[in-house]
Amino acid sequence: MNLILIIALLAVGSYLVAVIENWTIKGKFRLAAPAMAAMAMLGRESVLSHKPDRLFFETAPVLLLLSALLAIATIPFAPDLIITDLATGALFINAALVYVLVALLMAGWGPNGAYAMIGGWRFLGQLMAYAMLVVMPITAVVMRSESLLTTQIVMSQDDLWNIAYQPLGFALFFIASLALCFLPPFDLPIAKGELAGGVEAEYSGVRLAVFRLGRLMLIFTLAAAIVVFYLGGWSGPFLPPLAWTIIKTMTVAVVMLLAGQLMPRIREAHLLSWGWKIGIPLALINILIVGFLVLMVP
Amino acid sequence: MSIELILALTTGAALFGVGIYGALSQTNLVMIMMGVELILAGAMVNLVAFWRFLHPDTAAGQMFVLIVMTVMAIEMAVGFGVAIARFRSRGSVEMEEAVELKG
Amino acid sequence: MTAQMFFIGFFGISAIWFGVVVFRTFSMVRSALALLFSQTALGAMFLAMQAEFLGVLQIMMMATEMSIMAIFMVMFMMDPGGMGTMDMTHQKRLSLWAGFVSFVGGVAIAVFVDWGPIAAIAPDAAQQTIDLGLEILGRSMLIFEMAGLTILTAMIAATAISIPELKGKQQ
Repeated sequence: MNLILIIALLAVGSYLVAVIENWTIKGKFRLAAPAMAAMAMLGRESVLSHKPDRLFFETAPVLLLLSALLAIATIPFAPDLIITDLATGALFINAALVYVLVALLMAGWGPNGAYAMIGGWRFLGQLMAYAMLVVMPITAVVMRSESLLTTQIVMSQDDLWNIAYQPLGFALFFIASLALCFLPPFDLPIAKGELAGGVEAEYSGVRLAVFRLGRLMLIFTLAAAIVVFYLGGWSGPFLPPLAWTIIKTMTVAVVMLLAGQLMPRIREAHLLSWGWKIGIPLALINILIVGFLVLMVP
Repeated sequence: MSIELILALTTGAALFGVGIYGALSQTNLVMIMMGVELILAGAMVNLVAFWRFLHPDTAAGQMFVLIVMTVMAIEMAVGFGVAIARFRSRGSVEMEEAVELKG
Repeated sequence: MTAQMFFIGFFGISAIWFGVVVFRTFSMVRSALALLFSQTALGAMFLAMQAEFLGVLQIMMMATEMSIMAIFMVMFMMDPGGMGTMDMTHQKRLSLWAGFVSFVGGVAIAVFVDWGPIAAIAPDAAQQTIDLGLEILGRSMLIFEMAGLTILTAMIAATAISIPELKGKQQ
């Protein structure tokens, strides 16, 4: 029952994310636009490039979809509305999201195209920059809740949301999650202007539709994860828990999609050097501060 | 005598064997490192199996697996460092060509 | 035949299968990703053996590690795409025998040694995580710190030997 409900939520959420993305790029709010685009995409021929690695080419979009789906399995939408409340939930979200990298590598290597391959390997470099910034803020969150259970993490924020308790961790995790679902300004693997679509370049038709759907679900999953880790999950006055989760998730998704539109694309070298020279020390400081707060402040 | 334990240990032995084959038969440094990774993976399966079926109450068994994972990461880092240095000075990481190591 | 037995066997066989594929395919990216799926199957096997934290950790860590392996394969191999089917092996017979003998030895030990009483139930996952945390920050703290320090040393050493020489110019 929970499974069906959450899949339905995910579908609706991804659709709304698509509407918002369309709105941030084109400037017009049209509810029907993603459906039309999807129909057009499904109607087109799905071209196969010359001498592809068929196995990778076919697996990549499905793996992207799957990793978003697995990550959503441990995210609670309401006190009882969760697919599996794993004892290592916070770690499992990470584990599932790392496979985004594997999917993009496959999509880059599979079609035997130069742009796609550059895009795929670029994402590996991008992972080097953001991976630590995903894990270390989560460590600080877990330090406060004293449990890896995601429901426990939400309950630990009853008094004060983590965004106020550890704003530094929130900022780092937010930026890292932008990089994780390769939204602008971190859209290096699909860089529209310079790589002609990058990993997406050789995909068309149904395969491209699956790929895009996977990415939309990824954005929705990340927004939901931010809500669970930093914005108090389902807690809020008056409205039922599920409504609060959905409102917060969609707000976060809007902010995520809007934030990148205002900035130029970051260079890979800058991303790496900032990630390691600024990001990781800040994440360590965040852990220190949270440790101090947890131990000293009752 | 538990079949689960034997299954897990057999998996460990098989991975170890495949890893030994790979590490000895490949000529490329990176492929040799893949063989070593498989050997360590075999060790890890055994450790988890021993923890689960013989001593599930001692957390030290799990700790040991964490150490093996650390060893894997270190092996990767140092191995690739050596590979880069070698590639830069000699233009390849083929071990057949590394005869000067014989002394 | 219990469900646990089935899953251990299933993931074990897939781990071995992918492990064999590593050395049988000519495409280097496929080789690295086969190693990844071998390790992921092992992670699933850990989950089947109720070691939840280790299983999830294995699945998470290996994805990054093997992807890095893939890019190094592409950088250093002469034929990363595997189109030319060139032979990259030596002393095949010896290695086959060595692998086979160690496999048979391992199985013989597994079958003939008396392992003593088998524990029926493992502690549940939440308890395991707590125990492991207390173990790391208690009795095994020194070992864990040493592991961390060793990683730091390895990072510095790897960086030191892999940065290019500066040819008389300032960077």
